Amino acid sequence: MLRVLAVATEGAAGVFQNIKQWAAQADVEFESVPELPLAVRQLAAARWDIVLAVLGEHADGDLAWWVDALRGAAGSPRLIVAARRPSMGLALRAERLGVVDLLTVPLRRDDFERALGRVRSAASEVPIPLPEVKSDAVGQYMLVGQSAAMLEVYKLMARVAPSAATVLIRGDSGTGKEVVARAIHLNGPRAARPFVAVNCAAIPENLLESELFGHEKGAFTGAVARKIGRFEQAGGGTLFLDEVADMSLALQAKILRAVQEREIERVGGGETIPVDVRLVAATNRDLKEAIAQGRFREDLYYRFAVVTIRLPRLAERGDDLSLLTAYFARQFAERYGKRITAISDNALDLLRHHNWVGNVRELRNVIERATIVATDEMLRAEHLPEELRGEERALPDRPQGALLTLAEVEARHIARVLAHTSGQIGAAAEILGIHRNTLTRKMREYGL
Amino acid sequence: MSGGAGGLAPVRVERALGLLPDLEVLNPLRALLVSISRPDERTMWSSSGPYLTLGKRGVQPEELRRHLPPLLHSIAGHMRGLYDAYAEALECQQRSDGAGAAAALVKAGRSEEKVGRLAQALTWYETALAIAEGLQDRRPELGALRSLGEVCLALGRYTEAARHFQRSLAISEAEFDQASAIIACDRLGDAALAQSEWAGAEAWYGRGLRLAEGARDARGIGRLERSLAMLARKQGDLTTADIHLRRARALVESVGAADAMAQVLNGQGQLDAQLGRHSAAYATYREALAWAQRAPRDAGLEVSIRLNLAELQLETGRFLEAEAELRRAEQVAIAENLTSRLVQIYTLMGKLRGQQLDDTGFVFFEQAIELSRALERSPAISARVYVEYGLFKNQLGQHEEARGYLERAREIFESLGEAPDVERVESELQRMSA
Repeated sequence: MLRVLAVATEGAAGVFQNIKQWAAQADVEFESVPELPLAVRQLAAARWDIVLAVLGEHADGDLAWWVDALRGAAGSPRLIVAARRPSMGLALRAERLGVVDLLTVPLRRDDFERALGRVRSAASEVPIPLPEVKSDAVGQYMLVGQSAAMLEVYKLMARVAPSAATVLIRGDSGTGKEVVARAIHLNGPRAARPFVAVNCAAIPENLLESELFGHEKGAFTGAVARKIGRFEQAGGGTLFLDEVADMSLALQAKILRAVQEREIERVGGGETIPVDVRLVAATNRDLKEAIAQGRFREDLYYRFAVVTIRLPRLAERGDDLSLLTAYFARQFAERYGKRITAISDNALDLLRHHNWVGNVRELRNVIERATIVATDEMLRAEHLPEELRGEERALPDRPQGALLTLAEVEARHIARVLAHTSGQIGAAAEILGIHRNTLTRKMREYGL
Repeated sequence: MSGGAGGLAPVRVERALGLLPDLEVLNPLRALLVSISRPDERTMWSSSGPYLTLGKRGVQPEELRRHLPPLLHSIAGHMRGLYDAYAEALECQQRSDGAGAAAALVKAGRSEEKVGRLAQALTWYETALAIAEGLQDRRPELGALRSLGEVCLALGRYTEAARHFQRSLAISEAEFDQASAIIACDRLGDAALAQSEWAGAEAWYGRGLRLAEGARDARGIGRLERSLAMLARKQGDLTTADIHLRRARALVESVGAADAMAQVLNGQGQLDAQLGRHSAAYATYREALAWAQRAPRDAGLEVSIRLNLAELQLETGRFLEAEAELRRAEQVAIAENLTSRLVQIYTLMGKLRGQQLDDTGFVFFEQAIELSRALERSPAISARVYVEYGLFKNQLGQHEEARGYLERAREIFESLGEAPDVERVESELQRMSA
């Protein structure tokens, strides 16, 4: 049962008359006080889940006072505010200050129940500690993952890295092709030399040639100075050509010549320059289909595909998702000066059931955003983007893709009961039907 | 993006534009092409996704065809409006109604302005002025001068704009038209401000403010207080700027003008950012956006607020949010065909990549330069892009190219006689040499 403390000063106590009736039907324990000093006393005397404050004439000042007053209050009550004529500015400030909802006086039952619903759903989320990402889960290639699909990738990388062979990395968008290319370089004989990456799809077609081979000053409009191309920059090291399917046929011919002859010419320059690079190419397209359609040169394909590594989609990587989530959450928490230790069960369910079109890159993005907006140490469902939260209703009661272990179910249930008893171990042990010491031990074990 | 007829891939905007001859008559088609372009969904999460620019978006020819009839209809409507306005002016002439003829010509100019044909609007207004000057009634002349002044300001022809507004001020005072006099002073201040003539701007705004106060024109006072705040901010007097903005905010809020409120808050956000009050600046920009949404649609204002917000996020190291904000601004700018804003957006995106030491960020500067070439006022805009491009290259240690871009910018600024900009580039070059 939620405990609500309602505070209306300036003779506005009448606004709560209806709420008393609604509260009884909504399984809410409701108490109202007519003045601030009494409210302060009540806050100190008992634990409240929600404070419902009616703002007075100086709504902005009242709002700031309440946000301040509830900081550090026992039980961390959530704040719902109501105002007679809420302005847009007030609504924006309330949202920024983490107020659950801003209601309009006279209060409407639907609005009140919606606000209660928001508090209930946030309160029912159970924290799941983020797993440690140990060094063996990262390994020598600095890739996070222990799934069988990734182990296959590691084996292939181990065979190819020490050689000088050209490698073609295939995989959907966001599966980590550049990370793999870098790992191959760093674990190969050219590790001390540069690793230069070129994204062929990002660069305008008319500039790609000069980007790869360089140009002399004045070679074309905009060539304000001599430019050393990426082939030369990568001298002695590795040149990573990403999204090679996007290159024009004319440029493919020039790349082929550079690979075969091991020499290039800068745009607008007559000099032939020898180059020594290891090529690693990557694509998210089907190059064989592109060859069949006449959009990709077959001879260049065979030059690239001396060894082919296929990267699995995130969906094929089992519980690597949890490891990656933990890894990114810690990485971004450090970057943004925060501490994230857990993720809520709802949030994790949403992550597990999302269709990760953008694979690891999309997950990384989602966790970065969640870390930025998180207000405490737990990533919650509400911190995830709208498109993921929209999938909440479609979640089955039990996850189908990733079934929970018995320990996970037990941890969640214990956390739920502890939330219900506001952290009182004795009461929780009684509900769970176990000894207090057993509960304490399990709490330690599950990091609750 | 779904495939078009026969599942063919969309044509990239860079290629589509390459097929379009650079003819003024095709401008509406160029604008349509840009506004209906879509990013390829496959690239959204690909490694090239973060570098997506207008040129890499796609256009389906069949979609373009679908949009052609309404486009041609609107072009015909626009032309009909112009021809009708001329016929109306001719009829007025026949009746010896010079005021009516001038009004009809001004109406045609407004219609040109609405579709972004500023140079054409200017010609209509000049014709209207020639007729109005011969009339005994001075109001048509006043109307034509104001319209001319506004369009000259928009075209960056500040000296000309000031001349028109000075004449309009003299007439408004002779005709006891207080409202027009207030606007003329405000615009004269704008013209002076744009030319870095601080004392002149202050005098014009001050005079306008006194007139507005005398007329108890709350909206006018609010606008002038905002102008004075902008001037103070440019002069580095942030305390005075703050005082003016607070006054402007109170006045504008009291009259409930959502668009003016958004503009005031946009200025307040910039000031807060300059004063290092970052949280306040974030909140102010958010509120400005909310007001802008309540006001009649002004895509330019919305993009301006989003650009300022992104700049703040960039400054405070919130790169992810800055990128998201810039992408939102890009969407609006593309849909509304705001090319000059797109140049600013891509320049800022490049700057963002520079701070992340990502050399592929050069694609944004290249796109910005490409777009600025298509603008009427391209040289100064291109030069500003070159300055940022040079700083970007310098950040990445590519000093020779950095110097090349800065020198190119200096050349352009020198040819335009933009002394403050030349000075700024000079100091950057000197810093680079040191």
